[in-house]
Amino acid sequence: MSHMAIELEGVCKSYRFFALQNVTVKVPQGTIMGLIGPNGAGKSTTMRILMGLLRQDRGEVRVLGRRMPEEQVIAKWDIGFASEDMRLYDTATLGWHMNFMKSIYDSWDAGYAQLLLQRFGLRAEQKIKGLSHGQRVKAALLLVFARRPKLLVLDEPTTGLDPVARHEILRELSAVMASEDRSVLFSSQNTQDVEQISDSITFIDRGRVIDSMDKEAYLDRWRRLRLEVPAGVALPSLPGIAGVRQTGRLAVAIANKFAPDLPRAYESSGAHVRAVENMTLEEIFVANVEHNREEVQA
Amino acid sequence: MKGRVTQRLILKDWQLNRPMIALSILGGLLALGVLLIGGQTPFVLGAAFFFVSMIFCASLLPMSNILNERKKQTLAFMMSLPISAAQYGTAKLVSTLGMFLIPWLTLIAAALYVILWRHVLPNGVIPTALILAVLPLLGFCLITGTALVSESERWGTAAMAVVNSSYWIAWYLLVSQFPSLTRTWTSPVAVWNAVEVEILVTEFAVIVIALGLTVVLQSRKRDFV
Repeated sequence: MSHMAIELEGVCKSYRFFALQNVTVKVPQGTIMGLIGPNGAGKSTTMRILMGLLRQDRGEVRVLGRRMPEEQVIAKWDIGFASEDMRLYDTATLGWHMNFMKSIYDSWDAGYAQLLLQRFGLRAEQKIKGLSHGQRVKAALLLVFARRPKLLVLDEPTTGLDPVARHEILRELSAVMASEDRSVLFSSQNTQDVEQISDSITFIDRGRVIDSMDKEAYLDRWRRLRLEVPAGVALPSLPGIAGVRQTGRLAVAIANKFAPDLPRAYESSGAHVRAVENMTLEEIFVANVEHNREEVQA
Repeated sequence: MKGRVTQRLILKDWQLNRPMIALSILGGLLALGVLLIGGQTPFVLGAAFFFVSMIFCASLLPMSNILNERKKQTLAFMMSLPISAAQYGTAKLVSTLGMFLIPWLTLIAAALYVILWRHVLPNGVIPTALILAVLPLLGFCLITGTALVSESERWGTAAMAVVNSSYWIAWYLLVSQFPSLTRTWTSPVAVWNAVEVEILVTEFAVIVIALGLTVVLQSRKRDFV
């Protein structure tokens, strides 16, 4: 049995105006991976391939040890999937949906479902069409969480939610992870959400994975160096620097493989290092995407 | 592990579409009630509304049960359940067909009751009435197949428009091209001749082909959402 909850190896999927190119992602069991990318990066396509809803043109996909999409029926018993554009039946109540899920899944935890109703401030007798966007998202997540699946695949679950609702969902997601054998793949454009709960992070842009690693390693590797460059001094091209922006005598160098000797290298070239700053995940994400796009264009 | 997911999906569709089934049956029964009044005008009105009830159900059921799943974005919810695309397609086909057969059979049974026991019309019209009544079933299968395979509102609407505008042409052609159909209308007993049997067999053959093609094309799909 594989220790990986999700394994994508060289996955490709082509459309007329978009292509997922050679995507390789691995999510170990018991971890939360955040999938970050701008609009149209390929996050939803990747997740739909994972669920067997789309068939990849090339590459291998295994979810909970099952080949997808061939073994999707068996695999989906243990996968909980929710996406931002997924809707429930407008004319039915949340209670009807809960009974529907209960009739399918033996793993349905009625007590936990009641608890989630209270925590999310939902009422079972309310029709879906009467719910706000935030309540609809919570209702969909309730249906997923109460099944207690081994793997959660959540495609932008917090998009369009107010801060309170986002906080409630992230808190519940963290509670779900109290069980060590549970895994989550969670996509978002909101880097704060991902930073808050993820163990590892994958950046995706224009159909390509541009980086994938442990969250702490990311935060540790990326630094912003604020430099003062005297007249007549040219900044050297150093390994581990993803990009430099210079305006007059001031320059900002972004390091994607920061090492303590980088500031010394700049100092010895004649520049003065004014500050070495940590970067937020959002800053890293933007810098990473820009760096990657420049590399591709070059 | 509960393996009857397909059955649950069929049951779910039936629960969500109950109002439309009830409305079709009610409409058809009201039309037959008008027929019972007797006289030429009630006959024309009753017969017309009877078929309109069937056509209403044949057109709107595939739209409501199949195309709305994509339009209202509930398809991803369904496909996240432990089912394959082929199982989903089968469940949709069975549930939609079953939902249509309820009002269709009920209305045919009611119409036969009106003819055989209330003697509003001579029994000789029975073969023609059945041939004409199978046309909405055939049209329903064509619209359902198109809707399920294409999953496109545009194609579904096009199929609905073509099928609905073809009923009157088909009825006119049947009556005008096959004089033997009308020859026995006034007979006190239902008389089945070879032409009538052939037409009925052809109708059911087209239905079987349409459903078979739908199953084959649906099972070969690669992408769903």
